[in-house]
Amino acid sequence: MICDNCHERPASVVVTQSKNGKTEERHLCDVCAAHFQPFQGDFGGDPLGIQQFLQNWFAGPEAFQKTAQPQVSSGPECPNCGLTFRRFIERGKFGCAECYSAFRKELPEVFNKVQGGHTRHEGKVPASYSGRIAAERKIKDLRRQMKEAINQEEFERAAQLRDEVRELERSLEEGGGQDVVD
Amino acid sequence: MSSIENFLKNAVTPWMGPKGEYSNIVMSTRVRLARNLKGFRFPLDFSREEAEEVEQKVAAALEGMEDFSHIPMESVPAIQRQALVEKHLISPQLADPERPGSVILSGDESVSIMVNEEDHIRIQVIYPGLHLMEAFDRANDIDNRLEEALPYAFDGDFGYITSCPTNTGTGLRASVMLHLPALSITSNMARIAQAVARLGMTVRGSYGEGSDALGNVYQVSNQMTLGKSERDILMDLRDLTERLIEQEERARRALREHSPMKLEDRVWRSYGILTNARVLATDEAANRLSDVRLGIDMGIIPDVDVSVLNELMIFMQPAFLQQYAGETLHPGERDVFRAKLIRERIGMGRQSGGAED
Repeated sequence: MICDNCHERPASVVVTQSKNGKTEERHLCDVCAAHFQPFQGDFGGDPLGIQQFLQNWFAGPEAFQKTAQPQVSSGPECPNCGLTFRRFIERGKFGCAECYSAFRKELPEVFNKVQGGHTRHEGKVPASYSGRIAAERKIKDLRRQMKEAINQEEFERAAQLRDEVRELERSLEEGGGQDVVD
Repeated sequence: MSSIENFLKNAVTPWMGPKGEYSNIVMSTRVRLARNLKGFRFPLDFSREEAEEVEQKVAAALEGMEDFSHIPMESVPAIQRQALVEKHLISPQLADPERPGSVILSGDESVSIMVNEEDHIRIQVIYPGLHLMEAFDRANDIDNRLEEALPYAFDGDFGYITSCPTNTGTGLRASVMLHLPALSITSNMARIAQAVARLGMTVRGSYGEGSDALGNVYQVSNQMTLGKSERDILMDLRDLTERLIEQEERARRALREHSPMKLEDRVWRSYGILTNARVLATDEAANRLSDVRLGIDMGIIPDVDVSVLNELMIFMQPAFLQQYAGETLHPGERDVFRAKLIRERIGMGRQSGGAED
């Protein structure tokens, strides 16, 4: 027997579904059956049907219909994975971590809708990240001191500061940060 | 050892046990953290090569940690994958045979780390009863250890970066599975669902679709992941859960006061069906199990261990039934096997129920 859903693969699973007292039986292949999960209400997925939610809220449903005006732009594009903002709204999922930077200006409005008015993270910060922030702040501060030293013609001190900045920058590039700052 | 004992030995997982706070009403607590790695596209878009590299990195980061076993999904036959889904150890998405992915399971199955599901990493902890903080602490601990070895994607404004904007920030989804038969019998669940939504949380049937909760088992979870700390999210969910427990207990008292004979009749009638029926469809089995569980909780039915009911809710699902039967079953045969499994298990629980405690 062939799968009732894809009509391609052989059916290996029988799914019975009762709805309003009527029982329906479907023969599915294991690929399609994996998508049919009456027992799993939700596994922490998309509680709102996020694509639809975003589209309706954000641009009005007509903006993404086939008859859309040509001036509806696709918005910024992620330089890393190529996802456009418009495509993101349509499918409700980011492509990669860089998308967050590419859409940074638009995102507060998105989060405002899907996160009940919240747009900023208030929770845990990775230790490596807090180290990085500290290192970046320190570099800024050292640069300022370096400028001062040059202005006052204290070149020996300026050279010392420059070496410190270089070392910090190198450690940041290597992904660390905190060991130099502490 | 009988076939049912053999089957149970291999299938029971600790979260189905009777321990834990409020274990008469709260079946289990689940916490999950979504994390992603810098430098790789998310699983929806990534290449086979990226998938493999992420997988290797995560596996290497966990090397030497406790007794974790790494199970690539492609090595698991479809029926066993389905059984892992039915046990809530992996998501249906991870079970999809057309996608790459693996699960890293702790020996006691309380921790499951899904690799390359919607996000690169999803750390999940399930405990029996109400244990939100403990479950979170365990997940957080693993998160800290992974973070030492892996380049997490994190943003100063938006927090932990996830594939879906509904998870961004803490990446934390905490949920509590509750058995709420009295609130359901007294038709209070629709009103409660609305009130819960206003608090920024959701309540939905844990089994079955939409508002139709199979076996009166509901799942409450946080909806927002931004703008609140992990601790606040957990405390709010705990407060809400305690209020639901209170309301369920009040509804149970009301049932006992106003219609004790109707209640007893309902409970024993269902008990009679479960211990004697030869054919049981899913819906009926779920609803009868709910009645019997209520009867046990309220002291109407003595000598049956509540964990029997927790187990049966899981094992009456198709993949487990087929494992129990040891063969592929047609729907008709499945209802026969479901009836047999429930009959035998309750009989077994009754014999040993009193002696075990």
